[in-house]
Amino acid sequence: MDEKTNFSFETRAVGNVQVMALAGRFDAYTVEKARGWLEEATADVPAHIVVNLRDVTFVDSTALAALVQGMKRSRQRDGDLRLCQLQQKVRLIFELTRLDRAFEIYTGEDEAIQAFAH
Amino acid sequence: MLADIVAIQHDHLEALAHDWLAAGATAFCIWDAHNELLARWPLLANGATNGITPALTASVQVGNLTIGALGVSGLDSDRARVRLQAEANLLSQLAHLERDLNSMAAELIDTRDQLLALYNLTEATRHYVGIDETLERLAYETAKLVKAESAFLIVDLPQRPRLKAYYPSKMLDDETLTSCLGMMQASKQPFLSTRDTVSDDPPYRSLLLVPMQVRQSKTAVLGVMNKLGDDFMSPDVKMAKAIADYAGAQIENVLLFQASVEQTKLQTEMELAQQVQLHLLPRKPPHVAGLDLWAATKPASQVGGDFYDFIVTSDQPFAFAIGDISGKGMPAALLMAMTRTVLRTKLNAVPMPSPEDIIGLSNEELYDDFTEVSMFATVCLGQYFSETQTLVYANAGHSPVIYCPAQGKAALLEADGTAMGILPVSFSRNQTIQLHPGDVFLLGTDGLNEATNEQHEMFGYERLLALVAMLADKSAEEIAHGIYTAVREFGTGELQDDQTLLILKCVH
Repeated sequence: MDEKTNFSFETRAVGNVQVMALAGRFDAYTVEKARGWLEEATADVPAHIVVNLRDVTFVDSTALAALVQGMKRSRQRDGDLRLCQLQQKVRLIFELTRLDRAFEIYTGEDEAIQAFAH
Repeated sequence: MLADIVAIQHDHLEALAHDWLAAGATAFCIWDAHNELLARWPLLANGATNGITPALTASVQVGNLTIGALGVSGLDSDRARVRLQAEANLLSQLAHLERDLNSMAAELIDTRDQLLALYNLTEATRHYVGIDETLERLAYETAKLVKAESAFLIVDLPQRPRLKAYYPSKMLDDETLTSCLGMMQASKQPFLSTRDTVSDDPPYRSLLLVPMQVRQSKTAVLGVMNKLGDDFMSPDVKMAKAIADYAGAQIENVLLFQASVEQTKLQTEMELAQQVQLHLLPRKPPHVAGLDLWAATKPASQVGGDFYDFIVTSDQPFAFAIGDISGKGMPAALLMAMTRTVLRTKLNAVPMPSPEDIIGLSNEELYDDFTEVSMFATVCLGQYFSETQTLVYANAGHSPVIYCPAQGKAALLEADGTAMGILPVSFSRNQTIQLHPGDVFLLGTDGLNEATNEQHEMFGYERLLALVAMLADKSAEEIAHGIYTAVREFGTGELQDDQTLLILKCVH
C-alpha cells in the first residue's frame, strides 16, 4: 500500500472473470499499475473484467480514462468491464459525469461476476 | 643481460682478472648462458675466440635462472674455488639489481605513456556531447592507444536500446557481444582470452574485455581485439582499465548532459504549449445583450486540458462552451485544441445547429481519436437567445454546472450524456432554462471542487453551491474572484489541476 495515497491494488481470477480490487485514491499518481493490469487482462478473449471499487475514496479523470479504456478494449474482445461496490462519493463522480450510462455498475462483486454467465 | 654488465663494469672485472693472473691463474673468462665467451684475460690476439678449459667454474644466477658463468684455469685450490664463487655471487647480485632497475624504468615509461595517452584521449573526446559520437570516438581512441586492430564499447541502460560503438567495424556477432556483457556483469574483472577459450572459431587472435562503470547502467564493457603484431600483455590490461575508467565517466557525463538538455527542452516546450493554450482562450468576454459574462482559467503547473470558448457569429445565437480533457500534459493540451476546433466547426456544419447537435456531431468526429489515445473530454456547450432570454445547453459529462436563480438556491445541473469520446453515440440532449434578471449560470471545472486542503479534504460541491448562492448578487467577475479566493484559501496553495470558470449572469 502506498502510504501517501493509501492506494492498494489486488487482483484475482474467479472462473474466467478477472477481478481487480482497488483501495484508496485512484488518480493520476496511482493509475499506472491498474492501467498495466487492465491492458494485460483485456488481451484475453472474451475479456471479462470486474473492477471492485469498494475501498476507493476518490477517482480522478485520468483514472476514469483508464477504466473507460479498459471498458472499450474488453468490449472489442467480446467482453466487458463492470464495476461494483462504489462508495457514495465515487458513485456521485460516475453520475455527474454520466459514466453510469457507459458502465454496467453492480452493487456486489458476486453479482457482477455472475452477470457474465448470462 | 650479463653482456651489458660486462660492458659497463669492464674495468672492475679486468682488475679482478689481473689479480687472478697475478695469483698464478693462466686465464679468467666470463661466459653467457649460451656458453658464448663474453670476456677473457689475458686478451687473445685480434679475431681469436677460443676460450679455455677451466679448472674452476662458478655460475651467475638471477633467481633460479642461470645467466652465465665465471671460469679460471691454472688454479685448483679450495681457496680459489671459494673466491671464484664469491665473485660469481657478486655478479649475480649486480644482475639482480640491474633487472629491478630495468623493470622499474619500464614501468615508469609505461605510466608516463599511459598518462600522455589518457591526456590525449581526454582532449579528443571532451568536446563531444552526443552519446553516439562520444562512443565512436572512444572506440577509435582505444584501438589507437592499446595498439589494437579493433575496439568496441557497449553500454546496457535500463529502458533504452543498447548503446554500442565499434572501430573500425563490428567484428563480433550479437551473441558473442552479449556473452561478453554477461561475463563482465558476473565478474567485474578484466578478461583476457586467446583464440580457443571463448568459442571454437572466433575472428580474433586475442580479446581483452574490461568492465566500465557507468551510473544507472546494468553493464558496460570496453573490448579490444588483436594487439598489433603481438599479444596483449599486462601493460595493455592496465591501459585498457585506465581508458575504461575515463570512458565510463565520460559516457556518464554525456548521458547526464543529454538528460538535462531533454529536461530543459521539455520544460520549454511545456511552457510554450501553455502559452499557446492560453492564447486559444478568448482574452475577454464579448458583449452580449442582457448578459454579464466572465471567464478565466488558472492553469496548474503542468499543461492541463481545460478550455472555455465564446463564439459570436452574425447569423447564430451567442454560444459558449467549457471543457476538460482527461489527463494532463501535452496529450491533453493537443486534444483540448482539437476539441475546441471541432466544436467551432460543427457550429457551422448544419444550419442553426442546437447544442445537442453540436455535441453529438463533435462526439462522432472525435470518438475514434479519443479512443485511440484512451482519453475523453467533458464538454458543456450552450446558446443564449437574447430576445427571449432563453438559455439552451447540452452537457456531455461535464461538472460542475450550476444554476442559481435570483434570490434562490444554487443547484447542480447533472449531465445527461457521458463525456465525449466514451460512447460512439451521444446521449446529451438540449436543456432549456428561462433566465430572469439576477439569475446566475456558472460552469466550472473539477479543479475547483476537487481542490484539496492539508487534511486531504476536498472543497466539494456543497461548499461551491453555498458560495455561488452567497455571491450571486455580485457581478460575474466578482463571483469568479470570490470563488477563486475561497478555493485558494481552502487549498494548500499548490494547484493540482486547472481551475476554470465561465459565468453568465442575466442582467436584464
